[in-house]
Amino acid sequence: MYLGLKEMAHEKLRYTLLTSVLLLIALVVFCLAGLASGLAYGNRQAVDAWQATSIYLNKDANQNLSASQLKLADDKYITGNKVEPIATLSGTLRTKNDGLKTSISALGTARKSFLMPKVTSGHQIDGKNQIIISADIYAKGYRIGDRVRIGTTDKTVKIVGVYAKNTYSIAPTIYTDVTTLNQLRSAPITSGDNQPVNGFVTRRSQFKTDQHGELEKLTITKFIQKLPGYQAQQLTLNTMIYFLFVMALAIIGIFMFILTLQKQALFGVLKVQGIGTKHILAAILTQSMVMAIAGIALGLLITVGLAQVMPAALPFTIDWLQMGIYSAALLVAAVLGALLSWRTIAKIDPVVAIG
Amino acid sequence: MTTPTLSLHQVDKTFGHGRTTVHALKGADFEIYPGQFVAIIGPSGSGKSTFLTIAAGLQTPTNGEIRLNGVPLTSQSEKSRLAYRFNEIGFILQSSNLIPFLTVTEQLRLVDKVARRKFQQEHAQKLLTEFGLTKVSNAYPSELSGGERQRVAIVRALYNHPSVLLADEPTASLDVARSQDVVARLAQEAHQHHKAIIMVTHNQRLIGDCDVVYRIEDGVMSKS
Ligand SMILES: Nc1ncnc2c1ncn2[C@@H]1O[C@H](COP(=O)(O)OP(=O)(O)O)[C@@H](O)[C@H]1O
Ligand SMILES: [Mg+2]
Repeated sequence: MYLGLKEMAHEKLRYTLLTSVLLLIALVVFCLAGLASGLAYGNRQAVDAWQATSIYLNKDANQNLSASQLKLADDKYITGNKVEPIATLSGTLRTKNDGLKTSISALGTARKSFLMPKVTSGHQIDGKNQIIISADIYAKGYRIGDRVRIGTTDKTVKIVGVYAKNTYSIAPTIYTDVTTLNQLRSAPITSGDNQPVNGFVTRRSQFKTDQHGELEKLTITKFIQKLPGYQAQQLTLNTMIYFLFVMALAIIGIFMFILTLQKQALFGVLKVQGIGTKHILAAILTQSMVMAIAGIALGLLITVGLAQVMPAALPFTIDWLQMGIYSAALLVAAVLGALLSWRTIAKIDPVVAIG
Repeated sequence: MTTPTLSLHQVDKTFGHGRTTVHALKGADFEIYPGQFVAIIGPSGSGKSTFLTIAAGLQTPTNGEIRLNGVPLTSQSEKSRLAYRFNEIGFILQSSNLIPFLTVTEQLRLVDKVARRKFQQEHAQKLLTEFGLTKVSNAYPSELSGGERQRVAIVRALYNHPSVLLADEPTASLDVARSQDVVARLAQEAHQHHKAIIMVTHNQRLIGDCDVVYRIEDGVMSKS
């Protein structure tokens, strides 16, 4: 400790430079993590909010909700206590005369469905041609009572409620009932049991028999993995993050190793004086941990600052648990990097060092 | 007399084997008592450093026995040799004994940190005053003269109350006046504070203050 800290205080430039390199790596890790979380949330927040366990889709839909075509009556194949239809439409939400335009994901389900978000202002849907909107749409200036259009039809619907921030496919959501949604997407049938839906979401359910038409059952976890682009985005960003851990390890490792080689004579003198490998290694570990902690802390601080000034269109979410895990991983990488010099330090022969 | 502080009995040290074998020490017998200033003098390559490193537990002898205050140093594990050096031995090298990023006082503080105890302010102050180093107590080694550096090295070696002080050509990098000053201080330390001090040198002119002189030639030691 003492030895390591004193050396850092005496060689400020050297250790500040390495700390800055670690800071930059930490910053890139945290920004990528923020983007990965942001994208993940943007894609799946609506699905997470359902708190469902499985979803039934058309087996020819390649496990993709918007490509899945079923009809409302297909719930006859499913038995369970919470089985609700889901229908989707992605489009543009427009106020009269196109005063406001926003890309949204529209979701339709039964009015009393457990999938229907609970409004925080206004009221739940209780009649035809009503929608409720997520708080991020409200934040753009849409208000309860506004008459809006979605998609290409001239049909207008009325905003009756607002619920907590919620996104699907990286667009804020609106919810309505199945009939209204089918009218908005100009479905050929817009009433009764034969109107189209995309799938059924359930909490606990199973197929009634082996005969279940065109339906297949997916766990929600699997469904999220199969959200368009989700896995590719997460895999890309996470691979970059893992690669940065290796880089942090290598940079600390190489730097500390070079310093160790330079200081062999000094370490030899320490050993002559009875100050052994344990103390020398402790000094090096102290140094890399101090640098890593400083770099990580500054990196987090800058990331939080950046998050404030980032354009709202950029999906960026700080998931503190994940940031904590990545910080710990960077610290471990720094410690492992420093440990790479262990053997070299242990092998320094004081007799040679003073000879 | 009482038991010797440090004694070597019939110590051999050989390096390598076969035709390249080097007999660095051959049947060396040696003893030193508290308050003695002992010189070991011999030409380059005669085995002086080998003797000191064996006495310091930096290497193990091929044959023979070493005793500290009558106790044989039978336990030869790396860890116990390290503790032996830290607690019992003060080692002074030709040069570069000091840690470049620690001030004079911090060099002493480090000893206390390793020993896990509080800084011995008074003890440090006494030693620094005795060796005329109070003015430079906050200086880094690079800011000191060669003579001051060797004096700091002596203080550093004495600080942990060693049983025996080993000095390997401590004046090699100093001019004549400074060399004589450093040797005089070592002699004073032995005689006034009852320390056992061994100084290795190849300079005949520096052994005037020594109580006992050993000569060494081709690994053979003899008391003169
Ligand atoms: N580690 C070693 N390996 C092989 N030979 C050594 C080693 N250390 C010392 N020697 C040899 O032992 C002899 C004595 O060396 P040393 O004790 O350093 O002499 P001095 O200090 O008197 O100059 C020399 O011939 C030297 O080459
Ligand atoms: Mg020598």
